Amino acid sequence: MTKIGIMSFAHMHAHSYAACLNAMPGVELAAIWDDDVRRGKKMARAFETSFVKDLEAFLDTEMEGVIVTAENVKHRVLVESAADAGLWILCEKPLAPTVEDAAAMVTTCKKAGIGLGTAFPCRYARPLMAVKEMLDSGAYGEVYAVSCTNHGQSPGGWFADEALSGGGATMDHTVHVADLLRWMLGKEFTRVYCELGNQLHKDTLETDDLGSMHLEMEGGVQVSHIASWSRPKSFYTWGDVTMEFICEGGVINTDAFNQKLTVFDDKAMRVSWAPWGDNPDLGLVQDFVSAVRDKREPAVTGVDGLRATEVTVAAYDAYKERKAVKI
Amino acid sequence: MNVAIIGCGGMGRLHAEMAANCGLRVVACADAVRKAASSVADTHKAKAYEDPMGAINSKDVDIVVITTPTPTHEKYVKAAAKAGKHIFCEKPFGRSTAECRRAIAAADKAGVNLFVGHVVRYFHEFEAMKAQVDDGVIGDAGWLKIYRGGIFPGDPKSWFRDYAQSGGVTFDCMIHDLDWARYTFGEPERIFCQTLMRKNPTQLDYSQVTMRMKNGVIATIIGTWAHPSGFRVKAEICGSEGMIQFDSADAPLSAEARETAAGPTMIVPMSPVAKSPYQHEWEEFVAWIEGRGKPRVTAADAMRAVEMAEAALKSAAKRQPVTV
Repeated sequence: MTKIGIMSFAHMHAHSYAACLNAMPGVELAAIWDDDVRRGKKMARAFETSFVKDLEAFLDTEMEGVIVTAENVKHRVLVESAADAGLWILCEKPLAPTVEDAAAMVTTCKKAGIGLGTAFPCRYARPLMAVKEMLDSGAYGEVYAVSCTNHGQSPGGWFADEALSGGGATMDHTVHVADLLRWMLGKEFTRVYCELGNQLHKDTLETDDLGSMHLEMEGGVQVSHIASWSRPKSFYTWGDVTMEFICEGGVINTDAFNQKLTVFDDKAMRVSWAPWGDNPDLGLVQDFVSAVRDKREPAVTGVDGLRATEVTVAAYDAYKERKAVKI
Repeated sequence: MNVAIIGCGGMGRLHAEMAANCGLRVVACADAVRKAASSVADTHKAKAYEDPMGAINSKDVDIVVITTPTPTHEKYVKAAAKAGKHIFCEKPFGRSTAECRRAIAAADKAGVNLFVGHVVRYFHEFEAMKAQVDDGVIGDAGWLKIYRGGIFPGDPKSWFRDYAQSGGVTFDCMIHDLDWARYTFGEPERIFCQTLMRKNPTQLDYSQVTMRMKNGVIATIIGTWAHPSGFRVKAEICGSEGMIQFDSADAPLSAEARETAAGPTMIVPMSPVAKSPYQHEWEEFVAWIEGRGKPRVTAADAMRAVEMAEAALKSAAKRQPVTV
């Protein structure tokens, strides 16, 4: 039995990870720690595990790994304490809101001999895996330009509190696509320009709600990316991940979560999309569990998280300076 | 009134038809390629010219339509103005702001009406989107995205394929969206652009732009001449209280032939309307000449669009934003 704990349910993705752990044979959700005691207790009941209020006692629980799903700024201290306790770690994205924190986390885990993974489940989304296979096959030739979006609805709460999140929509919705492109093309980002917006939720949000970015990758690949909380409350679903690849041999388009039904519900007077595609979170959690068992690094590493954070932070810098900056 | 068509390619033929629909007579058709000139001329029982100046200076011509490659627009606008003719110039107005400025000065001096065909302002879906924005349906707008394009236009020898002449997808095609963004959301502040402008091994262009408007609105605009086939327009406008989306692939009518003479078939979406946007711009142009109101797009607007497109290409070359 592989025992995994969860540190904080501040990020809603914890619900899905907990459900994945509970669904996997030979895996046990060992315990939950949360600095919000009420939330922690409620989640422990919901996922049929125990809540441990004291952090040290939690880290002493018999288990081999933890999933950290706290607010962005708390990732570092929790990851470092788990590393001290010798636990394998899967950390929610962004790995950290600053390059300094992200780099320190990578270093700490490396020194402690701990496997640190970053939660980029998009790498396990089947349509995106298929894109990587198409690109790797060489059938489409060299990639010259990519146009991407990662839109979402406004999550509110701590996401919009810069003291806890480190930034708004651009902090939240840049790293998935940054990681996907690094993974798919095997190239690093070299340069970024960014315009930040905050006009969509200006009455309720202090942070940016949209970033329109222009990036370059090694070899001069031209990339645009929109990170946003622009989907209205009345939208069909939470948002999207889309990418259009302009290649020598043709064009590849993906709308990664477009495996859905359109449901018209008269009772709620609402039209919504019901997804039926494979759950990418399951692939992510399965890899983490097998990394824990084999005492290897997770497939998506802490360094991958650090690289994605470098892109995001540079985007904020670029907007501050009103010019394209090196990454 | 009688019309001369200068440049008898696809747009020349189209504008000749629109002019005829407005009750005007197409009397002169000029093109350096004799066959192109006589083909349009035959349709309208007009006289074919190889020399544009012959058509422009023909006594019975009242309106000159300029549908030649962009860098030649200034020359023909000036000639038409000097001859006292009203002018319909296809977009882009010129290949540089300086060319546009001189063309406007010539028309002003001659006291003729100079219209530039920024037809997207007349497209039903763009009119409808602007109306929704202006009516406040989505609250205060914060961001828009427009996507336009498809296959690289023109045959292998076409002037479109010479970036020095056409300016590629950014200058020739995206100029529509730069203009519409300014028309709908006010003056731009700065612009950032990445564009491919590739020649080899395959000629393709793909342009990605972010334009910041003075009122804070962000416009993300993608133009493609990099697709293997087809043409598509998508638009999305997000505001404080909602969002508007348009996609030309969501068409009321589409067809795909089982067999074509050359190569694979393609689904062609169509969106029939009673009055085409080209007809609509012609009606406004003619009404303006006849003293019945002013068109929604001025030559100064068209010059500003060229200025924005120039700034985009400058940004692409510098890899930095450019104030516009």
